[in-house]
Amino acid sequence: MGKNGNLYKPLKCELIKVIDESPLIKTFVLVPQQDFSFATGQFIEVTVDGLGEAPFTPSSSPLQTDQLEVTVMKTGYVTDHMHTMQPGELMGIRGPFGRGYPLEKFYNKEVLILGGGCGFAPIRSLLYNLIAISDKLRKVTLCYGSKTPEDCVYKPYIQELRDTPKFEVLRSVDQADENWTERVGVVTVLLDDVRMDIKNSVAVVCGPPIMMKFGTMKLLEMGYSEHDIYLSMEKNMSCGLGKCGHCMMGKYLVCKDGPVFTYDEIKDQPHIWN
Amino acid sequence: MNRIAIPRHEWDERLNQLLSSFDLFAPVENDFSCDYVKLDAETIPEITYNKPKPVTPLKTFFLPVKENVTAGSNGNNPVVIIGAPNCDVMALAFLDQIYLDNEYDDPAYGARRDRTTIISFDCLSIQEHCHCTTYSIEPVGNKHSDISLALVDDQVILSLFTKKGETFLEQMGVVVANTPEETVLRTLQNKQKEVKELLSKQNNSIPGYEETGQLVEASGDEIWKKYASDCVSCGACSAICPSCSCFLLIDRPGFEKIRQLDTCQYPGFERVAGGEDALGPLSERFRNRYMCKYVWKPQKYELKACTGCGRCIESCIGQINKNELFMELSN
Repeated sequence: MGKNGNLYKPLKCELIKVIDESPLIKTFVLVPQQDFSFATGQFIEVTVDGLGEAPFTPSSSPLQTDQLEVTVMKTGYVTDHMHTMQPGELMGIRGPFGRGYPLEKFYNKEVLILGGGCGFAPIRSLLYNLIAISDKLRKVTLCYGSKTPEDCVYKPYIQELRDTPKFEVLRSVDQADENWTERVGVVTVLLDDVRMDIKNSVAVVCGPPIMMKFGTMKLLEMGYSEHDIYLSMEKNMSCGLGKCGHCMMGKYLVCKDGPVFTYDEIKDQPHIWN
Repeated sequence: MNRIAIPRHEWDERLNQLLSSFDLFAPVENDFSCDYVKLDAETIPEITYNKPKPVTPLKTFFLPVKENVTAGSNGNNPVVIIGAPNCDVMALAFLDQIYLDNEYDDPAYGARRDRTTIISFDCLSIQEHCHCTTYSIEPVGNKHSDISLALVDDQVILSLFTKKGETFLEQMGVVVANTPEETVLRTLQNKQKEVKELLSKQNNSIPGYEETGQLVEASGDEIWKKYASDCVSCGACSAICPSCSCFLLIDRPGFEKIRQLDTCQYPGFERVAGGEDALGPLSERFRNRYMCKYVWKPQKYELKACTGCGRCIESCIGQINKNELFMELSN
């Protein structure tokens, strides 16, 4: 037996609640059969019994160990099936895997977070953690973009954040409707509105690859140094243990060496944006 | 290192006595090839000694093509593999770095490694595509096997490297004090020298391991497109490679996971649910295998990810010879 038990074996969880976030995104609230903890930015593999598994970074607070949440966009074989699942059904989880956000490096800094679409899921877990350590941070600015107002996730949570001292939220949509009062355009337009002390700031980027690419380029233009930009990379993470090879990104195995990397760590590796 | 000599007939008798308590495997030549068989009283005298290399790579004993990795025990019998060439032993040592790493040792792989004793063969002849020495790997056994073996003048010469090897010889009843005669050892050394000279002569134009990495990294797309035009993505090169070990996890009802060996040569290996696929075009997949072995793995692991067995060349139905590609890059 391996020194950490058999990490291929999923821990069974009861699905207790399904929250509709947007037409394509749902949040699944899971209660594991034993306490389960993770560090923010780490990911888990969620098993749909007999069908397959897929990697997700939990969207709930890392400080909570009796239940966890994963926010899932309907986008493939496993996630399509997840979207049909009902409370009371069993799922499996494996992990947590990989390297999360190095929060101690954020101390005494301003934190700029750039997120798009379902990329808000890992960011929400990070935000819960940042709120818990907010006395050690100067401020946190979240720039979040989605396609339409209907696609914006965690609507009640956004207001909570806006009411939290030291936290500000800027939002944009690609296509607005008549009720939208915030910015219109791709998420990087929000960066024109932020006022950060860039030399004393770190940036976190999470979202679809194209958004991560242009977001990173814009942050570099703004003066962020490569080692202060944290990217949560998305590859075909399968085993989670650095063995199966599916998430290879040059010399890195994203599941084990990441999924969180600084831009300077990965900028010379191939295929980082696809 | 202890060296021990046993007459061949006595070695055969002792192997015979072990059949009831061990699963013994060794290469036996047939009309078409030479491959491992599970030994019984009839096959022990037929073992093909010191000939490179069994068709099946050594990894297959530790990473079966398909297995349930959530099922628990994968067998209990102690296993002895006799006759692994050093290219395969070094490839297994490479795989140990992945499967028995500091953070997580794989239970199924680890259990098989624990209960298996490896007796390597010194290669006393060469085959057309053998090129271990090009990558500074000796065609003789070393400490990565438990014992190495050479059959010379009807004497079985054993070199003992590990405690596990010592325990096996004790169980076998071999007296460690039986040192080989000087003349036999001299014959063995001469044969080993001859083999190295043959390898050197056969492979004098093939670039070394580090140089190959530099060439592959600096290369443009064209050469990969050219060689990949003969590739049909069958994955034989990876299946037969002693150090390729990527796998797929397949789900079965009851939260079971089946591990099935996989390869970056297959379409969709890196594809994610949204449809992005870093290794979409065949030429990208083809190149990836060499980038992995000669450029990226060396940045991550100490041991070499290609040990020069040449099986990928022999198995390729498109007749792609990676060494021809590397020589073309170096010219």
